[in-house]
Amino acid sequence: MRRGIRPWLVGLLVALLAGCGEPTPPPPTDGFAGLGAEADGFAQAAPGTTLRFPADHGPHPDYRLEWWYLTANLEDAAGEPLGVQWTLFRRAQRAPDERPASPPGPWAADQLWMAHMAVSRGTTHRVAERFARGHAGEASPERDQAGVTARPFRAWLDDWTMESRVGDPQQDALDRLTVSAGAGAGDDAFGYRLTLQAQGPLVLHGEGGFSQKSADGQGSIYVSQPFYRVAGEVTLEGETRTVTGNAWLDREWSSQLLGPEQTGWDWFSLHLSDGHRLMAFRLRGGGQGGDESGDDYLSGTWITPGGKATPLDDDSLALEPLTTSTVAGREMPTRWRLILPDQGLDLIVTAPHADRWMTTKVSYWEGEVRVTDHASGEARGRGYLEMTGY
Amino acid sequence: MSLMLTALATLLSHYRRHPGQLAMLLLGLWVAGALWSGVQAINASARDSYARAEALFTTGLDRLERRDGGALDHADFVSLRRAGLAVSPLLEGEVATAQGERLTVIGIDPLTLPGDSAFATTGGPPTSDPGEPTPFFTPPWQTRLAPDTAPRLGLTRQSAAGAEPVLADGQALPPLVLAPALPPGTLVMDIAAAARLLGSGDRVSRLMAETGALNSTPAGYRLIRADTLVDPGELTASFHLNLTAMALLALIVGMFIVQAALGLALEQRLGLLRTLRALGVPGRNLVGLLALELALLGIAGALAGIASGVWLARALLPDVAATLQSLYGESVGTTLHLPWHYWLGGLGVTLGGLAVAGSGTLWRAARLGVLGLGQAQAWRAGFQRQLRGQAIAGTLAALLALATGAWLSTQPAGEGLLAGFLLVGALMLTCALWLSPLLAAGLARLARLARHHPLTQWALADLQLQLPRLSLAMMALLIALSANLGVGSMVGGFRLTFLDWLDQRLTADLYLRPPVEQFDEVQAWLARRDQVAELLPTAGAESTLLEIAPRGADDRPMRLPITLFGITPGASLTPSWPLLATMAGRDAAWASLTAGDAFINEQLALGQGIAPGDRLSLQAPGGQGRGPDTSLNRETVMVAAIYPDYGNPRGEVLLATHRLREHFAAPPRSIGIVLAEGQETALHSRELAKALAARFDLDDEALVDQRRIKALSTDIFERTFAITRALNALTLAVAALALLASLLAQARERRRRLAPLWALGVPRSELAGIQLAQLGGAALVTGLLAVPLGIAITTCLVAVINVAAFGWRLPLHVFPGEIALTLATALGVALLAAGLPALTLWRTPPRALLAEEETT
Repeated sequence: MRRGIRPWLVGLLVALLAGCGEPTPPPPTDGFAGLGAEADGFAQAAPGTTLRFPADHGPHPDYRLEWWYLTANLEDAAGEPLGVQWTLFRRAQRAPDERPASPPGPWAADQLWMAHMAVSRGTTHRVAERFARGHAGEASPERDQAGVTARPFRAWLDDWTMESRVGDPQQDALDRLTVSAGAGAGDDAFGYRLTLQAQGPLVLHGEGGFSQKSADGQGSIYVSQPFYRVAGEVTLEGETRTVTGNAWLDREWSSQLLGPEQTGWDWFSLHLSDGHRLMAFRLRGGGQGGDESGDDYLSGTWITPGGKATPLDDDSLALEPLTTSTVAGREMPTRWRLILPDQGLDLIVTAPHADRWMTTKVSYWEGEVRVTDHASGEARGRGYLEMTGY
Repeated sequence: MSLMLTALATLLSHYRRHPGQLAMLLLGLWVAGALWSGVQAINASARDSYARAEALFTTGLDRLERRDGGALDHADFVSLRRAGLAVSPLLEGEVATAQGERLTVIGIDPLTLPGDSAFATTGGPPTSDPGEPTPFFTPPWQTRLAPDTAPRLGLTRQSAAGAEPVLADGQALPPLVLAPALPPGTLVMDIAAAARLLGSGDRVSRLMAETGALNSTPAGYRLIRADTLVDPGELTASFHLNLTAMALLALIVGMFIVQAALGLALEQRLGLLRTLRALGVPGRNLVGLLALELALLGIAGALAGIASGVWLARALLPDVAATLQSLYGESVGTTLHLPWHYWLGGLGVTLGGLAVAGSGTLWRAARLGVLGLGQAQAWRAGFQRQLRGQAIAGTLAALLALATGAWLSTQPAGEGLLAGFLLVGALMLTCALWLSPLLAAGLARLARLARHHPLTQWALADLQLQLPRLSLAMMALLIALSANLGVGSMVGGFRLTFLDWLDQRLTADLYLRPPVEQFDEVQAWLARRDQVAELLPTAGAESTLLEIAPRGADDRPMRLPITLFGITPGASLTPSWPLLATMAGRDAAWASLTAGDAFINEQLALGQGIAPGDRLSLQAPGGQGRGPDTSLNRETVMVAAIYPDYGNPRGEVLLATHRLREHFAAPPRSIGIVLAEGQETALHSRELAKALAARFDLDDEALVDQRRIKALSTDIFERTFAITRALNALTLAVAALALLASLLAQARERRRRLAPLWALGVPRSELAGIQLAQLGGAALVTGLLAVPLGIAITTCLVAVINVAAFGWRLPLHVFPGEIALTLATALGVALLAAGLPALTLWRTPPRALLAEEETT
């Protein structure tokens, strides 16, 4: 569910677009309310949905919200770590039954596209965003400013692109991708051009891809490709470096994700040194229990190097914030303890650089983390952490 | 305290006995305040409109155009965005409301529009429900408009929000949302809604980018940098300065009235003041009380003036808006927007003027001798001193005028707008100050001549006695008359010149504006038709003047935005097209234009000091390269001639159409169609239009008759100067009122002086005649003096102020009709002013006259 967060993001984006230039802290409690209430006319994510690829790599305009979300932990030739983010969000502006059969003109829009990108190294964190209008019909890279097609797989907004390089129809279209984005000019330029090669299969989270988000059954369809090896170039402060590393792609779509009480989330995607992958999230508020900690909804997926997925719940997963840092005027937990009793894991997850605030119109925290063993302090891996609603 | 109150009441009681003086005082304050604050209200509203226009995405952003002049469309937008160029589309058009008003529709894409201001301008309340789809770009969309635009849609401000007014073509606007930051007359909506409303399909009017965001110009496009686009505030500054000068004139004339009234009121209260002093009221307190009286009158008059000024501005604003629209293409709201400082400013200026006008009175009251006697003869000695003072001050003003004129003659043309106004002001002051000494000297001479005509001698002596009180009103009349004559002659001259120029410029019978992509095809089709004698295609583009190389002087690099205009130097065009200056005669100039040289308009020549023979380097996409960026390519042309170009605020370079299209990649504009001999009737034009419409899919507006263009241009001209005429007439009316008021105020006293004459046996008809002759003569002298002054003002306006304000020089036209009207006005006002008292005299029984004499 990781990006269970993002429906809220997109919702807030829409609100912000309506109003102002200042990045506004997310409203603490109202964020999900509107989303949960008005999914009438949209398809609902439900258990038992059969996924078909490559069609399901493309957009699902009958669902309200969707995203293609990539994070990468990289290092340059000298071993210095870098982080990269590439995200494309889609939000339907009108329910399928309210859309005209043929769009009344090239500007008519029933979909809103939003893209975020970030490059970070050390204390530097550069962020850019783009917006575009779109429609529910088949998009074309020549005719549309933004869109996603399944055959061949292409996702784009302006010149920010994610494209499949797979020729063999037997292979999954996401097995080999090129991803690029850029912003700024001259000494201020930042961006990347990466080639991604999957080392394992697609992973379906939850129940065959249905990832529950709250105790009352709301959820989303959630698929990941967590096994990418990356090679390419990253530009920061006008300087381009050759990089290699790991990347994780999330695909998620839904119409009504979250319970009305849920206020924010903390989400982890970790590449462990032994080849395992771990996805874990905590939704704050809206859980089963009556007491404060019981209000959180915990979920995750334990993924073997071969791609076998084991769902995690609050019996098999514990998340505990240890230390907070002040980021953009907020207190954010930047050091965590993750315990997976069944796997015998007790991990410390630390953000080495706390200042990874996304200064986009819809703002949140997204940054690289290091994983160490709680007992020995040994390095156990790396990954990305996302936190919203603070 | 009660003593002071009693003293104040005593002072004020004067106005109860002489309500005419009070009325005159308030009238002066009122008209001065009304005209001044009215014009300031107009200026404030216009400035507000400019500020709002600047908030509207059209300024401060770079623009992209297609190199081939074709219309931009959605595909251009997508391909540029996909290439990583952050452009945003804008669609602009007009819709007609059900009320017949035309409003501008601007369609934007808030998702790509650079800058946060766009969101602030187009966005909704920042607290909208995050679950709601953004209504701005989701059907049924929104129409954002300034509250002052609502009435033009037939709605009140209160009822506008949420309304969906139906347009003349039956389409409904998206629900209205009020946005005060938007310019008047503009509807802003999502580009999808605008495209549907305007039926524009894929087309966009403009692609814009944040300044400096595009490092290089994409192939096939032309980049127009924001800094080369004109700033409306700068362009219209001179127009507003003109208005302010007019208002200042009205203020001064009004203050003349005030000072005349105050002087009279003090004069008649001298005895009263002495009595009060003798009764123990300290002199300082007396002055304080008079100042208090002034302040009370001032506040009453100024408030009335400001209130009327707002009313006046509301009445004049549509004309001003029309002027600014036609002269500068600026859209100005027709409803008032008054900031708080406007009200304080109006009050301050009126009270300040009153303080200046009243300071003399207070000064004299302060120096009042307790024991002196108020004697007209003694006062007359003081007046002689005053006359000498005025003559000296007038001489100083004349020297100032001379110095300013001399300085201006050393300046390049088009400089010195303020100096021009200073020159006009100094000239007026000179004449106004010299008026009384001249009249006094004239009277003294006449009196010597009339030694053997006792009654005439008496009349002249009496006029000399009246002169101190009349002189201020006469000065006001002189100023108003001369300004009226000056401005009237300027406008009249401009009108003649403009109409001539239109005739010379519009040589073709029909003008056709085909779509760019059909242009060559249409032209070829027309060329094959028998009824067409000659085709005069034009082209146009925006460019930048990069360098001027004068003959025999150093090059001057610059970055000046200019318009390029292409004409076809055909046989039917060259003989009549007006030229002001050429290098080697008309024929040679046309030959060199055909060969590739350029003509420039007068504005550009005067503004940059360019003469025929100079060479200009122009930015030209098809010109000589200076590196990979084609925006740096340039083309050098020689200036062969200068032509007049009235009504154009910008510098323009004229080239032969074929050269402009080849070297500057300029898109074609229109085709002038000269019909063959015997084919120029309206019937033939209609036939051609029908044939054109049948062959090509052209809309009704594409073909325009020459007569219609002329009618339209003349109409625009008339509206342009409507405001000038209105203000001018108002100023004259104020001056006439001043004279009338000051004469009526002394009418009672005059009758008292006439009574002894009547008692001596002079018939009443003769007495009335004397009065008419006295004032008529004085007014005639004033009017005669106003004629040369008016001509001097016209000269100054056409040769200095217009050149600086608009960039063109006009020939000086003097209209005998205007002069006769000026003299007639002066006489008419004076006779009216003398006639009313004369009529009263005629009707007053002799006994009453004598009784009046006794009561004083």
